[in-house]
This record gives sequence, structure tokens and C-alpha cells, in this order.
Amino acid sequence: MSDTRRMLAEMADPLFAELGFEADDARDWARVEDLGLPLLLLSEEDGGFGGNWQDALTVFRLAGYHALGPSLPEAIVAKVASQGSDAHFQLMAFARTAQIAGALDAALRLSVDYANERQQFGRPLGKFQAVQQSLATFACEAAAANCAAVGAAQALDRGDAAFEIAAAKLRANQAVGVGTRVAHQVHGAIGFTQEYSLHHLTRRLWQWRSDFGHDAYWSGVLGKSVIERGADNFWPDLVARTD
Amino acid sequence: MQTFEPEAIDWPDTAGALRDRVRGVLADHGPLDPVLRANSWTKPDPEFSRRLGEADLLGMTWPREYGGHEASQLERYVVIEELLAAGAPVGAHWIADRQSGPLILRYGDEAMKRRWVPAIARGEAFACIGLSEPSSGSDLASVRTSARREGEGWVLNGQKVWTTGAHVAHFMIALVRTEPGSERQRGLSQFLVPMDTPGISVKPIIDLTGAHEFNEVFFENVGLSPDALLGTEGDGWAQATAELSLERSGPERYLSSMVLLLELIRVAGDDAGPSVRELAGRLAAEAWTLRLMSASVAAKLARGEDASLEATIVKDLGNSYEQAIPELVHRTVAMDLDGPDVLSMVTAYLLQVSPSFSLRGGTREIIRGIIARGLGLR
Repeated sequence: MSDTRRMLAEMADPLFAELGFEADDARDWARVEDLGLPLLLLSEEDGGFGGNWQDALTVFRLAGYHALGPSLPEAIVAKVASQGSDAHFQLMAFARTAQIAGALDAALRLSVDYANERQQFGRPLGKFQAVQQSLATFACEAAAANCAAVGAAQALDRGDAAFEIAAAKLRANQAVGVGTRVAHQVHGAIGFTQEYSLHHLTRRLWQWRSDFGHDAYWSGVLGKSVIERGADNFWPDLVARTD
Repeated sequence: MQTFEPEAIDWPDTAGALRDRVRGVLADHGPLDPVLRANSWTKPDPEFSRRLGEADLLGMTWPREYGGHEASQLERYVVIEELLAAGAPVGAHWIADRQSGPLILRYGDEAMKRRWVPAIARGEAFACIGLSEPSSGSDLASVRTSARREGEGWVLNGQKVWTTGAHVAHFMIALVRTEPGSERQRGLSQFLVPMDTPGISVKPIIDLTGAHEFNEVFFENVGLSPDALLGTEGDGWAQATAELSLERSGPERYLSSMVLLLELIRVAGDDAGPSVRELAGRLAAEAWTLRLMSASVAAKLARGEDASLEATIVKDLGNSYEQAIPELVHRTVAMDLDGPDVLSMVTAYLLQVSPSFSLRGGTREIIRGIIARGLGLR
């Protein structure tokens, strides 16, 4: 991680952790603005932070990790793309990808901690192979969503990222299905209560999956583009994006 | 919680030129059989391996002194992903180039390095891995094949099984018990066993497709020289498991069915229905993601960091992907599995071999157990 991103994370993480799912735009927006976060992507000449998309990923991901309510990703993206444009839709799809990646990591942590604490049959749930195998699957999905988000951010910083954003949002969407299912199964009944915090993550994850392109939308877009390019271009196109 | 620290990969500037070199060797080699392009890293073709050696595309990261080319790990990654995506028959040299060469360079004495490493880099010496035994499958620590000191050297007795490529390999890296009466992971050591040593016999095992890829290997009073011991006596378990990061995270763990995705795209055409279009899109997205994950492990290993947990994650996701491709294509596209068209032939072949994808190199259950331990659950 670059120094800028480490600094950003150190700045945003405590505030986001404090605000969490209870954050309220009307009450807390000033504190988010005080850190200069909405201006993250504006150049320094324009009074902004001069951040790139990998910096934005750090902020979006942490917002997802803490199930943050205020519309920070929307505000950040609104500074660089106008609402209703194709670019805005794509960039928000990227933001949601990053939020999903963060929220999945948070739900995974909650689930692993719970499995290590909760005892049944005289031992922690996490000692049962069936539970271990489910959580391992979840960890794989969370890892895939996070790697996809990084890949999309890197592509945005290189230039055209239409393919990468489509692929990353689709991959993250799919991880939501597995991750929320395992998180709730491992938590049992307590995870189904209003009192317990899991639903702040899982309900947002379900929302974010359908925001800015659901699975069928992005798989249709990607499928159309790879079929149009043809079988013999598939692999050369894929690697040309990073070469 | 982050089990897989994703990173922005610094792809080498030489990538394009390296791909051109690989494509040149492939063009010289001539057209590949469309079915054999699937799962091509188990298809030995010694002549093709020698051509890669001549083109300086084997042993890429190793010291020049031992026939290597001192390229970076990511440069090697570019070459191997290009070969696999094309479905090149890389099976003969695959294991030697991936893990046996690096192991010998790390633990072998000077004579062993001189004897084997340059030959591997020329594509002339091939390796197999002696791990599984009849009673030691997933429970690898129960191996019973033994090496006993006798005079200056060692005497090997026992049996290995499911040994891929033992019938084409020139040597085996075997995990055996050197401390009589030792239990589990203790008392194990690794040996380099030349396959032409008297007392070794190789018996084919034919798989359900009729192919001969793996074997039983028997050792009957096989005499080994003192320097056949690789690394430290008694450290075999740690050495063998360290090697698994190389074995589990490579692009071969997600590309075995890539040729079928390409055939799906080929037959889809402009009038593809939504189900085929969405399937192609979904498989493309996963290929893109897995490529980044696999390369990011290569980058981490190149820095000398421990990537064993990440490697198991890549293997689990990658195997599930390459296993799902024939299933999903079969589900979505009407076909006759006995049909003469390439899509049907490749689907039929991959449906039959894909059960092995989540068995070889550690079963899905063992792999997920390792991930669970990484999560702090065991």
C-alpha cells in the first residue's frame, strides 16, 4: 500500500468506525467533509486531495467495511462525473464493488469471531469441519471480491476500465450471494435479530448487489462484448489490458 | 479480516515480447488437437519441451550458471499463462520447471545442481513427485515408504501411487520416512531418486478416459548415493509443504478448461441467446479475477514472502471454476456428447476429467481445511 493510501486509511478508518451504520448525513456530514474526503478525486489545483482510483478504493472499501450510511461514495464520484452519464453509472458500479469488498470482509470477521466464541456440543462452532468448510468458501469469495476491486481500480488509473468494472462488479455481486448466506448460517438465530449487527452489513450487501448493474446486466454486457470480439481475441484482449 | 491482501500487480515491460516468443514456438510446433488443448499441462510432449528449452523459455528465473535465464517471476508467469491459454502440451517438463528445479537449486549439492538443473532448463530432464501412497492420500503425513542408511548411502523401500508422469520422468522427488518408528510429520526427508536406478518399477494406471497419465511406483531395495538426500534429514515435511505454494497457485489451477470457454464464444456467434451470452460474460469475469489473484501470489512469492494461504485460496476458486465450465456449458448448450463438433468433444472430455481438478494437488476438503486454519478456526 502506498503512503498516501496508508494515510487515507488511518484518517478515514477511525471516523467510519465511530459513525458506523448509525451515520446520518444531516448530523455527520460536516465531519466527513472536515477530512476533505468528498474532494478525494479533485486535483490539488482545484482544491482537492489529488487522489487516484486506488486511493478512492481505500475509502470506498472502508465505508463498506463499517457499513457506513452517508452517501460518501456518491459525493466523491459526483465531483468527477455527472449524474445520469454512462461514466457516472460505471464509476458508481466500481464504488459499489469496493463497498461490497469491504462489507464482505467485515461480515467474514464477524462470522469467524462468532464461530470461535459460540460453544455447542462442548466446543466452539469453528471446530466443526462443516462450519470450517463453509467459512473457507466465504473467505475465498471475499478474497475474490477484494482482488476484483483492486484490479478495477488499477485499470481506472490506467485509463479505459469498462471491461474491468463490469467484471469486478459482477464478481463482487456473486460473492454477495455466498457471503451473506454463510454469514447468516454460521450466526444462527442471533444473526437474524435487529439487535445483532450482522444485518447492517448483509442488508446493505443485498442492496449494493442490485445497485448499478445486477448480475444478469453485467454478465450480458460482458458476454456481448467478448462474443463480438470473437474466441481468438479473448485471451490476447485479456492480457493486453495489463501488458 | 483480510486473508488475501490484494495488490496492484507490476506487470513486466517485457510481457508483450515474451508472449510473441511463446506464440512463435507454438506456430513452429503446428496446430494443436482441439481436445488435447484442454487440461494441457498433463499432456507430455518431450519434443515440445525441448523446443521451449531451445527458446530459453524453461528455467527462466534460475541463475545463468545453471542454465537459467535470470528472468523475474512475473516474466515466467507471463510465459506459462500464455502456454496454458493456448493449450500447449507442457506436461513433460511442467513439474520440473515449476517446483523440482527450484527445490534442487535451494537444497541440492553442487554435483546434483550441475547434473539436473541445466538439463531441466534445456527441456531434457523431467520430474515426478512422490507423495501419495496406497494408505496415504489426503493424510500425507502417514507415508511409510522408507529410506534406511546403509554404508555410505541409503536404501529405499516402499510404494508411491497416483504419480503423474512417472513413466516419462527422469527423476522423482520423493517424501519418505528416514527415522524408523517416527510418527506423522516427524522423521520424514526428501530424496532425489533417478528413475533408472535398479529396483524401481513403474506400473501404469489408466484413467477413466483411457489415458495413461499417472502410475504406481515400486521401490525394492533401491540403493541411493549419500547425496540423494535433498535438504536436511528430518525436515522433509516442512520442505514438501513449502513447495506446495508453487504447486497450488499457478495459472494451471484455473486454466484447465479455458479452451471450452473459447469454443463457447466461437459457437455463440452474433445471434447468441441471453443464456449463452450471460454464461460467456460470467466465465470471462471469473477468468479475469482469477488471473489477477494467481499473478498476485506469484508477485508475493517473488518477494520471498509466505503465500501459502493465498495459494490455497487461488487453488480452491480456480479448481471450482475450471470444474464448473464443462458443467455450465453442458447445462446451457444443447449438444450430443458423441457429436463430431469441437464444442461437444471438448465438453465430453472435460466432463470426464474435471472431477480430478479438485482432487489433484490436495483435495477441496483438505484445501478448505487449510484456509479455515488460516482464518484461525482450527
